[in-house]
Amino acid sequence: MAAANMKAVKLRIKSVQNTMQITKAMQLVAVSKLRKAKELADNCKPYLTILRDTLTTISIGNTDFQSPYTKESDNSKWLYIVIAGDRGLAGGYNANMFRFVEKEIQGRDYAILPMGKKSLEYFRGKNAEIFTDEFDEVARVSVSDCFELSRMICDAYKKGEFGHVLMCYTNFENMLSQTPSAVSMLPLSDFAVRKKQEDEAVATEESGKTSKDSGHSHKAKKAKKPELAPEYDTSMQEEERRRFHQILYEPGSEEVFNTVVPEYLAGILYASVNISVASELAARRMAMESATDNAEEMIEQLTLYYNRARQSSITQEITEIVAGAEGGGK
Amino acid sequence: MATFQMQVVTMDGLQFEGEVERIKLRSAHGDIAILANHIDYCTAIGMGVAKVVLPDKTERYAACIGGMLSVMNNVVRVIPTTWEWSEDIDLERALAAKERAEQRLKEEQLSKKAQVNAEAKLYRALVRISAASPEM
Repeated sequence: MAAANMKAVKLRIKSVQNTMQITKAMQLVAVSKLRKAKELADNCKPYLTILRDTLTTISIGNTDFQSPYTKESDNSKWLYIVIAGDRGLAGGYNANMFRFVEKEIQGRDYAILPMGKKSLEYFRGKNAEIFTDEFDEVARVSVSDCFELSRMICDAYKKGEFGHVLMCYTNFENMLSQTPSAVSMLPLSDFAVRKKQEDEAVATEESGKTSKDSGHSHKAKKAKKPELAPEYDTSMQEEERRRFHQILYEPGSEEVFNTVVPEYLAGILYASVNISVASELAARRMAMESATDNAEEMIEQLTLYYNRARQSSITQEITEIVAGAEGGGK
Repeated sequence: MATFQMQVVTMDGLQFEGEVERIKLRSAHGDIAILANHIDYCTAIGMGVAKVVLPDKTERYAACIGGMLSVMNNVVRVIPTTWEWSEDIDLERALAAKERAEQRLKEEQLSKKAQVNAEAKLYRALVRISAASPEM
């Protein structure tokens, strides 16, 4: 009986060992890819921050909106660009993103532009309207793809297919934490609205400070704050705000925005894809690391159990032999 | 002379950050130069050589293509598609690219798309060449 049990344990150990080998390999692959992806993402980060700040400031200060990209839209349909991974086994990376998007799309009329195979699968499964599925492999998206995509979005936007464009990506805060976030892309007037919402969210978090998690993201946001000069404060006085209305556009705001916006969408897209890819790899590295750790722990316990079983079976044998020898001597 | 804060950032990262005295570049509708205390301003960038004058009067040149320039509260942000400092430009490669594009444009029966492509390549090469050798 003990022997059969021992055999089962031994098999179990072996299978756990095999799994561990796989998770370990995946972890190493993620680590080596992550280094490169992080470099790309780091390069993009200042671009994204400065670009967003600039456009936010402009959109707060602007009154003279003739370009279709800047006017507030009365079309209530939203286009969501959802960047997720191509593969699973990345901890909560994909699931967190979808949960985030679900919250965003609640009660809205929407279409989805999925990037990443998991994203496409998920929204196909939901029977959501899909804008295009051309860019389903996030790992293969290049700069020129982003330009093409941005042109497609701009054309459709001008045709009135949707009134707002929001992009959801996973922000790479550090190696250990990546959070889903959203950037408003069109119209530019949404920038100001979005910023206000975010500020309010931070304010409520500050007053609430309930869970450890919210405290953390609050900290991250606070760390970002100094990058913004005080003039970006949306809550500034009306008078100050009016001062910003005097932005000089050459040759005219419409021309400026019509040339600049498609380029900027492409820039934001490319940067966000890079940051998301880095986040995915970091998430996978973490998930695989903990899987490897778990496997190690399991093997340790099973080995202990196996040794105990072996020990007791040996003891039993000795007892039997001794008992037999004593009985035979009489 | 008065200086102002300038940031140049592209998708490849932050290219420049610091005080400058003057920046001159080609916008979509002609050359412009920005000095300190400029009015809040926003324009689209064309294709051309950008010249940056630092507070110690040294001049730096760069190939600057596409994107936008914004002045907000005396902070200048240049966000181009391409920004290459003259010292980073591979002049030989640019010359070769110019040659190739010119050859291509000489070909007859060039499709519209190919022509636009070749022209864009030629312009980019020309901008790079003149940025790499500004005294020329």
